[in-house]
Amino acid sequence: MVRVLPGRRRRRLAWFPGWLIGMLAAILWAAPFLWMLSTSFKPTAQILTNNIHWLPQTFVLDNYRFVFRGPVSRWMLNSLITSFLGTLLGVMVGALAGYALARIQFRGRNAVFGLILASIMIPANLAVVPLYIAFLKIGLVNSYAAITLPLVANAVSVYIFRQFFLGLPDELEDAARIDGAGRWQMFIHVALPLARGPITASTIILFTANWNNYLWPLLITFSQNMYTLPVGVAQYSSASGNYTQINIYGPSMAAATLLCIPSLAIFLALQRYFIEGVARAGVKG
Amino acid sequence: MVALPALAQRRLARTELRQAGEGYSFALPFLLPFLVFTILPLAFGVLVSFTNWSIIGAPQWVGLHNYISALSNPLVRQAFLNTLRYVVLVVPVVTLLGLVFALYVNQRWPGHLFARVSFYASNVVSAPVIGLVWVWMLDAQFGIINHYLHTSIPWLTSTNWSWIGVSIATVWWDTGLIFVLFLAGLQEINGEILEAAKIDGAGPWRSLRRIVLPLLRRTFVLAITLEMISTFQIFSQVNVMTAGGPANSSASAMQYLYSAGIGQLQLGYASAIGVMLFVLTVIGTMIFRLLFRDKRW
Repeated sequence: MVRVLPGRRRRRLAWFPGWLIGMLAAILWAAPFLWMLSTSFKPTAQILTNNIHWLPQTFVLDNYRFVFRGPVSRWMLNSLITSFLGTLLGVMVGALAGYALARIQFRGRNAVFGLILASIMIPANLAVVPLYIAFLKIGLVNSYAAITLPLVANAVSVYIFRQFFLGLPDELEDAARIDGAGRWQMFIHVALPLARGPITASTIILFTANWNNYLWPLLITFSQNMYTLPVGVAQYSSASGNYTQINIYGPSMAAATLLCIPSLAIFLALQRYFIEGVARAGVKG
Repeated sequence: MVALPALAQRRLARTELRQAGEGYSFALPFLLPFLVFTILPLAFGVLVSFTNWSIIGAPQWVGLHNYISALSNPLVRQAFLNTLRYVVLVVPVVTLLGLVFALYVNQRWPGHLFARVSFYASNVVSAPVIGLVWVWMLDAQFGIINHYLHTSIPWLTSTNWSWIGVSIATVWWDTGLIFVLFLAGLQEINGEILEAAKIDGAGPWRSLRRIVLPLLRRTFVLAITLEMISTFQIFSQVNVMTAGGPANSSASAMQYLYSAGIGQLQLGYASAIGVMLFVLTVIGTMIFRLLFRDKRW
């Protein structure tokens, strides 16, 4: 534990100003979410005004009604299906590859792992144009498969599983091997049931990566009813969206709220895994 | 060393072969999409950048034409300069804030769990949320930022301010990740070293400068590298907040690639911009790493 500032025992109140400034910063950092939520429940007259109230004076659902008049429930469905598929596939292939890289001695293993690690440092957006061309050429566009496939192979997820399986004691598998179990059985019956931590961590990472993805679905979906929620919600932007009208702020805050609820809910429920997973992958990667 | 008998050698070779089979069959479900969707596209993109690919008609080899026409286009030059401007503003601010937040949370004062959640939460939401929320908060007339600052700055609608408005939103989005990286780095520091320093009479600032920061060196390199890569690719928040406007003043390289390259199906041209951005990103991070390697503090 690092305590940089003087301990509480030495000077009783010396920590107080620092603590206060930090708390104010933390509140300030969360304030945009509160302002978004509050605005989404306000009638137009209370939004376009210089009279700032942090809570709605009258609490209305008009903005949400407006948003749901559009295809937002379809976008949610698309996002749920693609995120679910992408996460499921991603965790499965990540666990298999992480297991192989940790527990099977095979030629070329270090080279494969090096390539996967290096890819974390390659900006993903640069593959976008060539991928787009390839998907257009083979006609794989505007579909769930097109949205999901490029996100399945997630290097961070492989990394998390590899680190975990490296730490498993050999004795566990030796017992199974003596009983005549093959690789596959050892993986399914011995290694995988122990891997709840890395499964949770990579589920979180893959789900948020899929749910939040914006550029790729923006490119590869051509019709409104195939949009994912981020692409759809971005339509409320006055700069690049289609819903251009004078008071867009109420509906846009309602749409933004809908879009961030799942990521924030998962984060709040599983924040320990979130922070540890990201930190572990980052610091030792 | 005793040579292995022929039988044992053959058995060893067979084991090696079997393990290679097992290893690659376990890794294949990952490696296949990994190669097809991550590694190959990068190579393919370089090839395409030398053609006039545009979906309709067969692509033709045009040599350096895409690169020359991109570099001679003032809009492209501005987009790249804007990108550098974002990097120079956003990366130091995000790094500094992330470090300060991590030092604060790591004190474990009352409320540190709330602070940890608050500092990281904005990092888990999607780009359109960031964009829409800040377009509203930075509204020139009714925005809450101008209200509290008692100003009427046209944050997103003037050519002087638009890139600053986008940068503010980016800082809010990105700081959480850097904060978590620093927090993890701090938690790896052995508390006994600091205790010893304290006993030797080192004050808090001294032990921060002389012990904590040097021990965070690897975290600094990682955090700044990741933040540089992500800021060189800045796109989503630009597209949602300003779509590059007004008058190209907030356009980034990725934003230009998207609107002019992909939007008008000039895919060879878009690829050339992508390759240039990739090279710029690599050069940028290399320069940073070289500078950091020599620095003593």
